[in-house]
Amino acid sequence: MVLIVNEAYDDSEHESPDHPERPGRVRAAMGAVEGLHLGSDLIVAPAYSATRAELLRVHDGGYLDELGAFCYGGGGDIDQDTYATFDSWSIANLAAGAGLSVIRELESRGEGVGFVAARPPGHHALRDRAMGFCLLNNIAVAAAQLVSQGERVVIVDWDVHHGNGTQQIFWDEPAVLYISMHQSPLFPGSGFVGEIGGRLALGSVVNVPLPAGATGDVMRRALDDVAGPVVDAFRPTWVLVSAGFDAHRLDPMADLGLSDGDFADMASCVSHYVAEPGRLAFFLEGGYHLGALQASIAATLSSVLGSPFEGERPTSGGPGAESVATGKVQRLAALESWTRLFEEEASQ
Amino acid sequence: MKAINSIAVGFDGSVESQSALRWAARAAREFDATLTVLHASGILERLGPPFSSSITPEVVGTIIAEEGMDVARSYWVVVEGDACSALLHCAAPPVNAELLVVGSRGHGKRPGMMIGSVSLEIVQHANVPVVVVPGR
Repeated sequence: MVLIVNEAYDDSEHESPDHPERPGRVRAAMGAVEGLHLGSDLIVAPAYSATRAELLRVHDGGYLDELGAFCYGGGGDIDQDTYATFDSWSIANLAAGAGLSVIRELESRGEGVGFVAARPPGHHALRDRAMGFCLLNNIAVAAAQLVSQGERVVIVDWDVHHGNGTQQIFWDEPAVLYISMHQSPLFPGSGFVGEIGGRLALGSVVNVPLPAGATGDVMRRALDDVAGPVVDAFRPTWVLVSAGFDAHRLDPMADLGLSDGDFADMASCVSHYVAEPGRLAFFLEGGYHLGALQASIAATLSSVLGSPFEGERPTSGGPGAESVATGKVQRLAALESWTRLFEEEASQ
Repeated sequence: MKAINSIAVGFDGSVESQSALRWAARAAREFDATLTVLHASGILERLGPPFSSSITPEVVGTIIAEEGMDVARSYWVVVEGDACSALLHCAAPPVNAELLVVGSRGHGKRPGMMIGSVSLEIVQHANVPVVVVPGR
């Protein structure tokens, strides 16, 4: 099977001293790709800068204007976590465009798996605000493009942090199913089981908060028992993955206990969410321990490409199985109660 | 005017947030209200220096006491989360703040900088009154 990646672009000027969201992350990601030795099965989608029209599907125009002006004014700290430099605006546009380019290549070939190795990451970027290292919501830009073509998109977010930006952007979008498994409590402080989508798309959000120390078996249970039935009912035509790798036990940003073998398992699971080939793409989000990042990406891509993988074994035995089961019940209760409320309001 | 029983203030250690804390402590004293001092730690603080905060409950308690408020009526809350969302949540149970107080801009912000402005976001989305306190 072919792997389609975005063409590398110069992201070296989007960097801040000591900040963990740094250019070395993409080098580690591409190191993982090179280590697969795919030869002619590795396809590079051309570099592309997202257009304003493409960004406006998910971001407010005023925010885009402000962000651009802020960068070209020299940049600085946007908040306590998030920075921008003079070049960040153009680099963020290339990151958003990278996803679109990979999707187009997948569409034209009708086969393969996509991997978007771009930064800055995107899943915390709100419609009108940068946060959590994220400036533009790359995966949302790609999903919105697909929705505009009539596709039904499931976004699986296995970054250790809840993807509050993606959830907000598609809160009322019935053609996007957003599924997140994340540590809680943790930044950004959202992603509770009762958050299930807005009035126009009730049930289109699935959150599985996990306690510190949770291992891969709990993640797999979340995918199989909680997400699986919802995905089956949703019948997606595309699967996009917010593939953060900061749930790895070596990552300094959080406290989950995954190994790179767990990412291989999760990738295998989500690859079965869509029947047709050429409709699966992974977007790099977090992951700040470069060794774990490279190994986990290698495991993920090996798994979906059917390549041999010699990495860590999947993990098990951590806490969280009960909270997954309880969360499933609570989610269904919330869905029933909001549905009833909206029906009562409609009948009045 | 309805009495205010609970006030929440965002605090990140910046000069502006210290001014906001002082204003909030004086208001809490005048209204005989409780004061919740909220610090949202974001993502990076857990990495330690140079990202960790030097903010301590003792520093906050000293500022509150200097403004004549009973420190025992104040609560120090740290959340790993987004400052805007966390402060807005203070208007809901269990804090039930009836007034939110925030500095005009946080750490490292340039005057007039709109992007990333916590105060602007709070003013736009709060369902209780908000006071924005300038730094000086």
